[in-house]
Amino acid sequence: MPDPVRRRRRAAEPGEFSDPLQKFEGYQPADQLEEALFCRPVTDMQITPFRTFPPELPVREAVGIMAEEDFFCLLICEQDRKLIGLFTERDVLMKVADRLDELGDQPIRDFMTPDPRIIYETDTPAKALNLMAEGGFRHVPVLSIDDKVVGIIGPQRLARYLFTHMGD
Amino acid sequence: MGLRQDIRNETVAGLSLRPVIRVLATSSVRQAAAKMREAGLGLVVVVDEYDKPLGRFSERDLIRLLAKSTAAIDDPVSRYMTPTEYCVKINDPIQQVFSRMEVYGRRFVCVSNEEGTRMVGLTGQKGLMEYVADHFPRQVKVQELEPKLYMEDREGA
Repeated sequence: MPDPVRRRRRAAEPGEFSDPLQKFEGYQPADQLEEALFCRPVTDMQITPFRTFPPELPVREAVGIMAEEDFFCLLICEQDRKLIGLFTERDVLMKVADRLDELGDQPIRDFMTPDPRIIYETDTPAKALNLMAEGGFRHVPVLSIDDKVVGIIGPQRLARYLFTHMGD
Repeated sequence: MGLRQDIRNETVAGLSLRPVIRVLATSSVRQAAAKMREAGLGLVVVVDEYDKPLGRFSERDLIRLLAKSTAAIDDPVSRYMTPTEYCVKINDPIQQVFSRMEVYGRRFVCVSNEEGTRMVGLTGQKGLMEYVADHFPRQVKVQELEPKLYMEDREGA
């Protein structure tokens, strides 16, 4: 009886070699929506326009900009679009609403949400969806590979993307 | 079954509903904001003394108000509320919530009981995102919540 440990593998005949992954098909989207959510980059969605603001912006001005321009959150960046925080509707409610007269001249840096959750432009819309649904983050900034802000995704943009690809 | 089909067939009861936070019409904007803070929710429903809904007041309304006049925060909330429009019923198809949000651009949609006589909860953008994520658990819920641009460890031998 041959020793199984020492048994020599039979040499492959010419043309006999087969790729062990040849039957691996990977993820096959079932429809247009699945392809849009899981196979495309997040830049396939609307991620612009966006505007960035300096951390020195007085909080009173920030609230004015949010009201006038209908922004739900402001992207707070240092030079070169390096994101340092978000200032959201929730920050207004939780931190300044009651005392805006008193705090209005202070820089937005003192009230923003620092180090927000982000996604990269090469990530899929599914990741943004998970951050919103599971993480509870309403606005997710999109960064380039060199960590510069290139856009932002909110629930309205994501919902519109879903509607567009859901089909009839 | 596809998502489009499911949102036509399943009812609003299948969405996660948030509790309705009520404030009396005579309450001040400051009191309404305090209720929103306490509940961690961006909307209160303004009701009369018989609990009949008169309108809604949201974080967005608060920001618009503060940008105009900080003194107005002590005015009655009923002065600045948005009148309540149609609620969806709890036995309506989920499609109705999508339509409400699409047509009115609303973040929240009120949900009433089957008879349409009493509000039983709120749903909206977050409820729908959760519904879609639940529909694709193996593709969506496995996504990292932390940003990682590169792999931290070598993979394989």
